[in-house]
Amino acid sequence: MVGHSLRVIASTTRVNLIMTWRFFSWTGFGLRFFTPVMTLGSAWVLYNVVYAGSKLPPQFGTAIGSSGYVSFITVGNAFYVFVFAAAFVVGRVMFWERATGTIEATFMTPMSRLAYMSGIMVAAATNALVDFTAVFLLGIAFGFQVALFNAPLFFTSLVLTAVGLFGIGLITNAVTLTFRDRTTTANSLMILFMVFCGLVCPVEFMPSWAQMISKVLPLTYGVSLMRSSLIGTGTVDVTYNILALVVLGAFYVAVGALTLRLIERNLRKKALFSVF
Amino acid sequence: MFTRVVLAEAVKSLKVYFFSSRTLFWTLALPLGNGLYLYFLYLPFAAKTVDLYFNAGNYKIDLVGFTIVGQLLYSFFTMMLLAGASFDQERWQGTLESVLLSPANRVAILLGGALANAVNYLWMLIALVLSWIAFIHVNVMVTDFLALFVSLVLSYLAMVALGMCLETAEIYSRRGGILTGWLQEPVMFLSGQVFPLQSMPAFLLPLSYLLPLTFGLMAVRLTLFGGASMYDVAIPLAVLASMAVIFFLLSRLLVSYAERRAKVKATLTQF
Repeated sequence: MVGHSLRVIASTTRVNLIMTWRFFSWTGFGLRFFTPVMTLGSAWVLYNVVYAGSKLPPQFGTAIGSSGYVSFITVGNAFYVFVFAAAFVVGRVMFWERATGTIEATFMTPMSRLAYMSGIMVAAATNALVDFTAVFLLGIAFGFQVALFNAPLFFTSLVLTAVGLFGIGLITNAVTLTFRDRTTTANSLMILFMVFCGLVCPVEFMPSWAQMISKVLPLTYGVSLMRSSLIGTGTVDVTYNILALVVLGAFYVAVGALTLRLIERNLRKKALFSVF
Repeated sequence: MFTRVVLAEAVKSLKVYFFSSRTLFWTLALPLGNGLYLYFLYLPFAAKTVDLYFNAGNYKIDLVGFTIVGQLLYSFFTMMLLAGASFDQERWQGTLESVLLSPANRVAILLGGALANAVNYLWMLIALVLSWIAFIHVNVMVTDFLALFVSLVLSYLAMVALGMCLETAEIYSRRGGILTGWLQEPVMFLSGQVFPLQSMPAFLLPLSYLLPLTFGLMAVRLTLFGGASMYDVAIPLAVLASMAVIFFLLSRLLVSYAERRAKVKATLTQF
């Protein structure tokens, strides 16, 4: 069973990577960097022009770390590309299967649905790594500096965050499939992560209601660990953040797997697989 | 005939999109989310106001007003660009050829879409601003209501006219939608929506001055949060009026050219 699932993951990953790179679009690739470039550019202008010479609060230095504000923003933005992989790729996979008329064939196969979705996520995360690297390179142009490199923490945060986002992608997939929604759910999710995960502002600076929302999003902890592994921000409680990522990841994957099963059962029962 | 087409298209769009999940996203989730994102971008600097220099004056604009209301106006701009995408919607639905077979004026169709989008968005925008004034105590300072009203109307007209020009790309190329999407982030950066225009690198300013949103943001922010009068914002208002006329005339030429080319190349429905 495990061997079969691993084969499903490997083959799905391979197919999706081939599809992405065979029809590679420079337009689409470039489009993905507009938000990070704009955010980095804006942060640079705010720090170096608008508030240059102003007296900044003492907590500011502790929260952003020794590498400076632009480095703080760069790490947040680089990590954000994985949200795109979860929300727009995993989150819409069944929607596109239905749109292209292959959903019935996919569900007729005896493969594990979770393994299939995992394969999609692995391919999406692999592609996201290209964007991830590109955002860091863009960050260098704006003054990004690495203060240290804690490899175990870096890779742990990367993998655990991807697992948590995968779970959220599964839930999104169920929503898009049920409500025949192409972009609204995925876009709303992207905004939720962009605003509340501390990408541009240390979470402790946010209002309390925003901090409460940030606590249930895995990216918050992932970004915090990633910053700690690269730019040594503040006094990050590594154990707490890793534990939070594990718990949230397990919760979201469990809920996602359950919703996937329920949605499949419902669609079969009501004969709604290919009704569009 | 022209007015009837505008109204018919507006009613159709309202029926399809009013309170749909798509509208709620574009008019509520996106502007609020992006506005909060900008607000949080400013939070580490512990600022309560943003200095806006204009015409030898220094206006202190409330931070929430500057970021979130700025974003609302930007979203309004995006909605107007989307109004320009109504032909793209028709193409997706497979009805573009039928629409273009009718004797309806093409500009009237686009104006109808823009009118519907404005109706969809404006009531929510006004409700949001009023609720913030009441609950978040955003520091609003209006001394000349007429100036505020004229700023909003001229911004709307100039943005709609630009949206209609961009519609040409949607008819002309299959990548029109992507190209329009591409414009959103640079426009956000260049228009002074994120930070005041006086902080913009000098070499980018000529690009900023090509955008109606730049002048719309300037006029609305100054009249809504800075207490500026009609006289104070006369220059941006004059530019907005000129842009509305120029872009409107240009759109008529461009839309008719794009339609002609699409018919010659038989690319109206090939997507």
